[in-house]
Amino acid sequence: MSAAPHLVISGVSKRFGATTVLDRVDLTIGRGELVTLLGPSGCGKTTLLRAIAGLAPPDTGTISLAGRDVTDVPPHRRNVGVVFQSYALFPHLTVAGNVAFGLKVRGAPKAEIDRAVERALALVKLGHLGGRRISALSGGQQQRVALARAIAVEPDVLLFDEALSALDRKLREEMQVELRRLLQEVKATAIFVTHDQDEALTMSDRVAVMNKGRIEQLAAPRELYARPASLFALNFVGLSTRIAGQVVGGHDGMVDVVTPVGRLSARGAFQPGASVIIATRPEQLRLGAGDGANSASGRVRSVVFQGSRTLVDVDAGAGASLLAELSGREAELPRVHDEVRFAWPVAETFAFAAEAS
Amino acid sequence: MMSRIAIIICWVLAIGLALFLLLPLVVIAAASFSPTPVFDLPLSGASTRWYGRIGRLDGFWPSLSLSLQIAVLSTALSLVAGTLAAIAIARGRLPGATALGTLLVSPLMMPGLVLGIALLQYFRMIGFTATWSALLVAHLVVTLPYVARTMIAGLSRFDFTLIEAARTLGCTYAGSVIRVMVPALAPSFLIAGLFSLLASFDNYPVSIFLTDVRSKTLPIRMLQYIEEAPDPTLAALSTLILAGTLVLLLISDRLVGLHRMAGTAD
Amino acid sequence: MTDAVLPAPIVKPAPDRERLAAFGFVAPSVLIIALVFVLPLALLLGVSVLDAKGGVTSAHYVRLLGTPYYLGVIWNSLRLGLLTTLIAFLISYPAAFALARARGALRSILLATLFLPLAASVIVKAFAWTILLRSDGLINTVLIALGLIEDPIRMIFTQTALIVGAVNIFLPFMVLPIYAVVAQLDGRYAEAAATLGASPFVVFFRVILPLTLPGIIAGVALVFSLSVSAYVVPTLLIGEKYPTLATTIAKAYLLAREPGFGAAAGVVLLAIAVIVVALSAMLSREPK
Repeated sequence: MSAAPHLVISGVSKRFGATTVLDRVDLTIGRGELVTLLGPSGCGKTTLLRAIAGLAPPDTGTISLAGRDVTDVPPHRRNVGVVFQSYALFPHLTVAGNVAFGLKVRGAPKAEIDRAVERALALVKLGHLGGRRISALSGGQQQRVALARAIAVEPDVLLFDEALSALDRKLREEMQVELRRLLQEVKATAIFVTHDQDEALTMSDRVAVMNKGRIEQLAAPRELYARPASLFALNFVGLSTRIAGQVVGGHDGMVDVVTPVGRLSARGAFQPGASVIIATRPEQLRLGAGDGANSASGRVRSVVFQGSRTLVDVDAGAGASLLAELSGREAELPRVHDEVRFAWPVAETFAFAAEAS
Repeated sequence: MMSRIAIIICWVLAIGLALFLLLPLVVIAAASFSPTPVFDLPLSGASTRWYGRIGRLDGFWPSLSLSLQIAVLSTALSLVAGTLAAIAIARGRLPGATALGTLLVSPLMMPGLVLGIALLQYFRMIGFTATWSALLVAHLVVTLPYVARTMIAGLSRFDFTLIEAARTLGCTYAGSVIRVMVPALAPSFLIAGLFSLLASFDNYPVSIFLTDVRSKTLPIRMLQYIEEAPDPTLAALSTLILAGTLVLLLISDRLVGLHRMAGTAD
Repeated sequence: MTDAVLPAPIVKPAPDRERLAAFGFVAPSVLIIALVFVLPLALLLGVSVLDAKGGVTSAHYVRLLGTPYYLGVIWNSLRLGLLTTLIAFLISYPAAFALARARGALRSILLATLFLPLAASVIVKAFAWTILLRSDGLINTVLIALGLIEDPIRMIFTQTALIVGAVNIFLPFMVLPIYAVVAQLDGRYAEAAATLGASPFVVFFRVILPLTLPGIIAGVALVFSLSVSAYVVPTLLIGEKYPTLATTIAKAYLLAREPGFGAAAGVVLLAIAVIVVALSAMLSREPK
C-alpha cells in the first residue's frame, strides 16, 4: 500500500426500503492499489462499488477520490472507469467508437482521441479490431474492449463489477493474471467486486470480505487465508476443518476447548464455558500424532484425488469431521474405511464464537 | 420417411402461401396497365394512361393530403408519447406496469368499427365537431398501440446498464439517453413508426364515422370510387400506394433487416 | 466492533424522483387511451341501453339477440371469423416451419412476401380480389383458356370469394407470430425427446406443439378478432348478401340512424373481441 490515501470511504450507509445494504462502511485505498470486495450476493459489495461510481449515492457518509470530496458529485464528473458485468458496450458503435466515447464526451481534440484509442486498444491487444462491430466479437474480446474503454479516459479509479464472471473458467484464469499485470503496468488504482475467492486471491493486493453490508475483514490475500478474522471470512475463503466445542480454560491468547474428538487448543480469547467453533486449514493436517499438537482420529469417509493434492474426509465421530489436504508425494495415502489419526499445529488452530455462524 | 414427407408439405405450403399472398398485388399492378377500361391484363399492349388520370379523380388531392397529414402527425405524436410510456413500463419502477402495458396495447385487438361509432357518439356528446382534429385524436388511438407494443418489446431488451456506462464515461443522464439509448433503439423506432404510419394511412373503420362530405381520408375516398365506378385508374392508384409501401419497407429492411422486424412484429 | 449491534442511522427517504418521472412518462399515453378509448367505449355501453327519447331500454339487445335474422347476422360474423382463422392456421403453421428452416436469400424473399402483403392497404388487396374474381376476371380467363370450363363461373359476391379474400388478407397476421416462435424453437428439444424414445408423432404433440403454442394463440387471437369484425372485406367481396355485425353497425349509423341499435351491435362485437383477448391471455399464462 502506498502512503497517500487515494480513495477514502467513511461511514457510508445505504438502505433500500427497509433493507440496510451498506452499514457504515469505512475503507481507505492507496494510489495504485488493487482491492477486491469479496462476498456472497446481497452482501452490499456491488452497492458499494456503485456508490463509488456515483450511480447509487449513499444515504450517509462521505467518499473522497484523489483528494476531492465526491459524495455529491454525479457520475459523469467523477472520473471513474467502470467495467460492467454485462460489459455494457454500445451496440451501435464500433470497437474504436466505444473506446473513444468517454474522450469524445469530454470534448477532447480528435488527434488526441485517436492516440488514446490506439494506445488503449494496443494495451488490451485488440489494436487490429478497432473497426469491428461489437456483435462480431467474442466474449473475451468484448471484455477487453470494456476494459480499454474504461482505461482510455485515464480514470482516478477503475471499478470492475463481476467483470470476469461471464468468461469461461480457463479464459477467466488467464484474464486474472493478465489483468493484474496490465493494471500494475499502467499504475491503476482498481476495485474488483466478485464472489469468486480465487479471483480475489489472484488479483488483489488486499481483499475486503463483506457480509451483510459490512466489511468483516480487510487484509492481504495471504493473511486473509492464514488468519481469518471471523468464521464468515474463514468459510468464504478456502476450505477448513471445523469442530464445535466448549472452552474450559485458557491463557496468553490461547484457549483449551473440549470437543467431541477430544481436548484441543486454539488461538483466541474466550471465557471458560463459551461455545466456540475451532477451525484449521486442511493442509495443516498431517498423518500421525504430533508432539504438543492437536490431534484427532476417525475413519476415512472419502479420498478425492485432485492432481497435486489429495483431499481426505474423515468421520471423527459424534458428528465431527476432519478435512485433510495431503500432498501428492505422500507415499502412504489412506484409503476409504481406514482408521487414521491426524495432528495439526496449535498455532494454526483458531477459535471463533459459535453463535457468529 | 414420415418426417421427410412432412418437410415437403411444409415447403409446398410455404411457397404456395408466398404466391397466394403476392397474387392480388401482382394482379392489381398488372391491371393498372390495362389497355382497355375493363381490367384487361396488359398482354396485348400496355397502357400507362390510367396513371395520368389519378390526379383527376374527384377529390383525390385533398384526400391524399388529409390522410398524409393525419398519418404523419399521429405517428409523430404516438412515437413521443408511446416511447415515454414504454420507458416507464420497461424499467418496472411503476406499480402495475404490466397492466398499464396491456392497457396501452389493448386497442389493437378491439374492432375498429366499434371504436369508430363510440368516438362518433362521444365527440358529439362533448361537442367536439372539428373533423380534422377529431380524426387526428382518433388516429392516435390507432397508432399509439403499435408504438407502445414495439417500444415496450424493444426496451425490454435494452440493457439499461448502457446508460450507466455512458454516465460514468462523462455523459449527463439526458446526454446518455440521447447518445446511447436513442441510437440503440433506432430499429424499434423505425418499425414502430412504419407500422403506425401504415395503420393510420390505411384506416377505414374508425375514420368513416368521423369524416364529413368535404374532408374524406383516402381509404374512404377509394372505397367510394370502387363502389361507384371501378376502372383501371383505381388499379393505378392502388399500385402507386403499393409502390410507396414497398419503398418504405425496402428502406426499413436496409436499416433494420426484415428478420428483426419479423421478431418484433408479432 | 462494539457498535455492531446498533442499527444504521435512519435516513429520511428521499422523494423517489425516478418513480415520479415514470408517472410523468406514462401519463400522456394513459390519458389518450383513457379519454379516447376507454371512456368512449363506456359511453357506447350506455347508448346501447337508451331508447330514442333517452329512457333506459333493453329493446336493442332483445331485437339483436331475439330475432332469427340478427342471430343469423351474429352467426355470419362468427362464421367468417372461425373459417378464416381455421384455414389461415392450417396453411400458416406448417409453412412457418419451412420459413424458419430457410436461409439466406430464400429466407429474405419469403419474409418479403409476408411483409409486403402485411403492409399493403386492406382496401387495395380487397379491390384486387374483386378484379381477380370478376366473371371476366383473371381466374375465369385462365380456367377458360385451359379448357377446364366453358362459361365463366360466378365467383365474386359468393361466400367462397369472401373466405378466400379474408384468408388472403389476414394470413400474414397468423404466419408472423407463429414464425417468430418457431424460429426460436431449439431443435435440441425434439432431439432430446427423440433420444428419450419418443416417436415423431409424440415429439410433435408433446414437445413441438406446446412450445409453439404461444405463437399459435397470438396468431389465432389476432386473425379471429380482425376477421370477425372485418368491414371492408365483406363489403367489397360479398356485399348485402352476407350481413355481419360490422356491416349492421355501419348501416345503423350511416344509413338507418339508429344509434342505440348500432351501439348494441357494437357492444356484442366488442364482447366477442374481449372474450377472445381474455381467452388468449388465460391460455398463454397457463404453463404448458
